Amino acid sequence: MTAKPDPLIHPITRLSICGLLAAGADWVEFAALRDAAGISDSVLSKQSRVLEDAGYVEVRKGAVGRRPRTWFRLTAEGHQAVQGHLAWLAQLEEAFSASTRDVQQARPIPGDRDQPHRVLPPLLGST
Amino acid sequence: MRDAASDPAALEPLERLRVQRSRLADRMRPPWWYLTGIAIMYALVFAVPFTSRYLGLSIWPIFAAALTVACLLQWGMTRATGIKVGFRNLRYPPAGRPVRIAIVAVSVGAIVTEHFLIDRGLIVAAIAVAALAVVAEVAATQAALRGIRQELRAGGGAA
Repeated sequence: MTAKPDPLIHPITRLSICGLLAAGADWVEFAALRDAAGISDSVLSKQSRVLEDAGYVEVRKGAVGRRPRTWFRLTAEGHQAVQGHLAWLAQLEEAFSASTRDVQQARPIPGDRDQPHRVLPPLLGST
Repeated sequence: MRDAASDPAALEPLERLRVQRSRLADRMRPPWWYLTGIAIMYALVFAVPFTSRYLGLSIWPIFAAALTVACLLQWGMTRATGIKVGFRNLRYPPAGRPVRIAIVAVSVGAIVTEHFLIDRGLIVAAIAVAALAVVAEVAATQAALRGIRQELRAGGGAA
């Protein structure tokens, strides 16, 4: 799996939908996905259609009694794209936390004696 | 997409996704009837040594009944939670692997022990073993569901 951004998944709502479907469940029902993602019915319908058209999500419609039920799952292609995008985001997170750590070490808070201080090498010729 | 290594806002989606996955995992809690049904199913399984000995029943109708109860429970659980996690293998979920193995070991061990005790006329002890095995299996099922919740929260290995 290569860590690379996917422009189709990058928008926050689609990332939520795909990330939830990639969490380990085989199928997730419309209401469960909507509640977990914290989005409205219409947003989920619209964004899932985009993902379905792209071949990332498979949709199965059925009914229990008179109530329609819609189930979603990631296709193999969708799975690969989500894993790549999430790995890319994880790399960013790693890079960001590393750079934050470096900045904190380079600039200790004034007066904070517990902070590790960088020991500068002695100047040439000084005693 | 901008260079996000220096932009903390770009990491917000990952944090949000963790919260959303946690919400999804929380839905995977079994309703009261699920655990009751699991107890009934295992009670049927562990009643086999008694029914075959005292009622002369073949084991197959009872196993068929237990399997029907298991399928109905799985169907009901999927409907109630909105999450379908099919059976993959004894290794899934990784966190609950010892539990899955324990479920099989307890089932086999309890049935063998019951036969042994019934053959020696220790009926009360055999009933006690069956009752303990049912309790152990319900606890193991709860632990397996905990493993699935943990797996959903962790994103099934994805970041």
